[in-house]
Amino acid sequence: MPGAFLLPALIGIPLVGAIFVICTPRAEASLHRGLGLTFTTINFLVSLAILKYFVKANDDFQLVFDVEWIPGLGAHFKTGVDGISVFLVILTTFLMPLTLLGTGGSITKHVREFIASMLILEAGMIGAFVALDLFLFYVMWEVMLIPMYLLIGIWGGQRRLYASIKFVLYTMVGSLLMLVAIFYVYVQHAHAVPDHVYTTDLVELKKVALPYNAQIWCFAAFALAFAIKVPLFPLHTWLPDAHVEAPTAGSVILAGVMLKFGVYGLLRYAIPLFPHGAQVWAPAMSILAVIGIIYGAFVAFAQDDVKKLIAYSSVSHMGFCVLGVFAMTIWGISGSIFAMLSHGLTTGGLFLGIGVLYERRHTRRLAEYGGVWTKMPVFAGLFLIITMGSAGLPSLSGFVGEFLSIFGTFNAGDTLPTPDWIPAPRLLGALAATGVIFGAIYLLFMFQKVFFGKLDKAKNGGLKDLSGRELGVFIPLCLAIFVLGVYPKPILESMEKSVIKFRAELDAHVTEPDGPAHLYGATPLPPTTMGGAAAVPPPVAQPPAGQPPRPVRQIGGGAK
Amino acid sequence: MNFDPADLGWLVPYLILVVAGMLLVLAEAFFKGHDRAALVGLAVAGSVASAIASIVLYRQLGDHEVRSVMGGMITADHTGYVLSATFAVSTALVALMSPAHQREHNWALGEYYGVLLMSASGCVMLAHAGNLVTVFLGIETMSIGTYVMVALRRHSKRGNEAAMKYFLMGAFSTGFLLYGMALLYGATGTLDLAGIAHKIPGTANPGLVIAGGFLLVVAFGFKVAAVPFHMWAPDAYEGAPTPVTAYMAAAIKSAAIAAMIRLFAGALGGDIVPFGSLGWASPMVVIAGITITVGNITAVRQDNIKRMLAYSSIAHAGILLVGLSATGLGSPTGVSSLVYYIISYSVTTIGAFAVVSYVGSKGRERLHVDDWAGLATQHPAAALAMTVCLLSLGGIPPTGGFFGKFLVFKSAMDVYDGQLLWVVIVGIVNSAISVYYYLRIVTAMYFREASQPIVATRAAGLFFVMTLCPVLVLELGILPGWWLKLIGG
Repeated sequence: MPGAFLLPALIGIPLVGAIFVICTPRAEASLHRGLGLTFTTINFLVSLAILKYFVKANDDFQLVFDVEWIPGLGAHFKTGVDGISVFLVILTTFLMPLTLLGTGGSITKHVREFIASMLILEAGMIGAFVALDLFLFYVMWEVMLIPMYLLIGIWGGQRRLYASIKFVLYTMVGSLLMLVAIFYVYVQHAHAVPDHVYTTDLVELKKVALPYNAQIWCFAAFALAFAIKVPLFPLHTWLPDAHVEAPTAGSVILAGVMLKFGVYGLLRYAIPLFPHGAQVWAPAMSILAVIGIIYGAFVAFAQDDVKKLIAYSSVSHMGFCVLGVFAMTIWGISGSIFAMLSHGLTTGGLFLGIGVLYERRHTRRLAEYGGVWTKMPVFAGLFLIITMGSAGLPSLSGFVGEFLSIFGTFNAGDTLPTPDWIPAPRLLGALAATGVIFGAIYLLFMFQKVFFGKLDKAKNGGLKDLSGRELGVFIPLCLAIFVLGVYPKPILESMEKSVIKFRAELDAHVTEPDGPAHLYGATPLPPTTMGGAAAVPPPVAQPPAGQPPRPVRQIGGGAK
Repeated sequence: MNFDPADLGWLVPYLILVVAGMLLVLAEAFFKGHDRAALVGLAVAGSVASAIASIVLYRQLGDHEVRSVMGGMITADHTGYVLSATFAVSTALVALMSPAHQREHNWALGEYYGVLLMSASGCVMLAHAGNLVTVFLGIETMSIGTYVMVALRRHSKRGNEAAMKYFLMGAFSTGFLLYGMALLYGATGTLDLAGIAHKIPGTANPGLVIAGGFLLVVAFGFKVAAVPFHMWAPDAYEGAPTPVTAYMAAAIKSAAIAAMIRLFAGALGGDIVPFGSLGWASPMVVIAGITITVGNITAVRQDNIKRMLAYSSIAHAGILLVGLSATGLGSPTGVSSLVYYIISYSVTTIGAFAVVSYVGSKGRERLHVDDWAGLATQHPAAALAMTVCLLSLGGIPPTGGFFGKFLVFKSAMDVYDGQLLWVVIVGIVNSAISVYYYLRIVTAMYFREASQPIVATRAAGLFFVMTLCPVLVLELGILPGWWLKLIGG
């Protein structure tokens, strides 16, 4: 396949860069910064080449690169992209050089290690986005954990020890339970297929449906890992700590890219592998998402620390993404993916902006600012675009994603043949929509506190406007936010086929109780529904004899 | 019993170690004082030669070929030679890191190298044991050497306490071992492991087999420091000189597991009427779960790095027992996963102890976590090596430790009907706990500043071990395919 080498190259270039940087003498800080910038920029350019080979009309994985990694275990180094992941990869490679450019100067100790950590982090993130093999995905998922831990712990703020350990433990607990579920799927699949071949290939694993109860547990294990990463409402407490203590670069990457793995993991792994489990948990997930949207917004409003404010705004914004996914409508899912891209740009931009202020004033308290506009007009203008993009102003990127995911949620009850996954979709949609209003309130409130009003703090008098380097960071970012908002069509078009396929596969699974393959013999189909599933209205599968009734039916029944 | 002198060929890895060990004891008389380079050289050469001999013999054997030599006393097969090569390499690495520690901490006794190699010969014998007598001889050869090595720091109170505890516990467990063997002999009328496996289904006294199996579980529980037979381990690990601790954690524990593979998976592997293979596997899996949990939770509370690593090695013994139980319950990949785990754990733990040995110097061991603050600034390479080893111990990819755990848990999941799912969950949840205390060391090294300069041990051998082990750990994690093929997984 043409361009198949591109994705491994995207993982390899930063890794080579990291090794290269580590081998240079310790004292050459500017050399390290230059190398970091060079390697990430090269990676960005290489990632643009993906678009050249990416076929929008193709709904399958593209640019697939597949070599056997561990024979005997069936683990492959298999990478590929589809409409869901391709722009997330580009978002990663786009944010990386901007982050290094924008924050490189503020890191003065252990610069070499800093650059190396960032490069390894990039490799891990891209690897996790493009992995099509569960084993590879898990390895990459963990690989990105350690550099982020180091970023927070070495270059972080006062309480960095606490924040870094909290970050690691939260993520670890989630991902280890996911590992149990991976073992289960992996072994059960091998036992179910005729020739007992072990494989961790995602495409192969999807072909065999697990028994109903196992799906519920396995989905819970996967969803826990991903919900922690998102972070979904009650599991979000690590995020404000991590963000506040992390250096700007860490915050940008954490919010801009790493949080996306939560939603991406749901879309790529948890839901396709365990469709029934997803259906059972969908009401809980969507309600938690809505709680997160509103709760995050309220808590963000109450913050004085700008970084904390943005951290909670992430809780709120990522809620839209989760909600959109579980609405299971084409709009909802597309909107969710788009909202992830937009959130990556805007929140990354917000953190970079705070970094700019922090570098000059060494405080992040809102009360310490005011009237900054007069001193930094260019920065204020650019920051306004980012803020508005985050708040969801039409014609900027945030609007498209949030609108689509709310719209998709609102209409979730009207889509057939899949039964509605979430309870009271119209109510949830309406509640989520209030989150947009609250979002506008706290973001504008923040903007007003910082930039408007009188310049009454003496220390703010000496603020200098953006340097050329910083302009080089913010202008591309604002352009991207603007372009995504005005002309989202190419991106939405690119993801459309994959999203439709995702939905279609799901329908095929959910309308039949044990999935299409029926290779797993433990739960035989009740004869009444076999073959006639599509004709039975509503097309919800009957639970096999002896199974408890489905929670989805008890809670569900929203807009009918 | 018929003896064919040609059979001695299959014993070359063992013989090299024994001969080198005896030569070392003799040579010690001629190399007095602190200059022990020649002794170290001979010890390393002997161990490496033994490892090479194992590799050569490995290549003589076909896939799945099992040769019973010396009248059934010794089993020559791929698993055995991979394990004996691993033990020999571990011994070589330990010997390489020893002179620096001897010099800095003043216990330069020349007998050490001779004893080390003789003890290692016991490990190699266990890897090839084909008879209860060889199991017993191997265990004793290996242990007696270790008792001596633990006691080498004669002037250290802790060292004496450690040696005493270790010796008493070891002697006590030997009683269990012998009693268990006697019962097995009583039930089957043979000492041959293959013969036992053959006779058990038709035995008139299944009760004796069950009781013997239980006693052996206890005896080996002591040897691998499984809970509740682990009490000696933290004290012995802490009191022993660091290279000896590394040897105990890597080679002794692995050799005991190797013997268990022979004994439990081999001789007792079949169904024991009327209990099925549950005779020993079910208590063992419970012990495994408890061992992992207790080991990890206790490690969380340790501030002394050697004690922390001791408890961590207890937890790892638990994971090895999970693999063994899985083998007993019919998992086809149990043995290969154990062998892989042994290789990766040996390399990792020797690497970790090498860094521990490096950080201390001039009689000061710097074992408290706080002593490690700021290591990354002052000794970045050592901190990086330690981090890689700790991540591997914690089972974080892409390290050998992760892949070892992956294989062991996979083999446990392969057991029919998901019987071992619970212990897999216990093991994996414990990994999260273990990450906490491993990262405490990383946190100290990277995130905190040193209050005073850390004067580390400078020695080429130690550097070599500190470089080689982390590289191998990463290699084992990133490209495990070659190793898997080697061990037939």
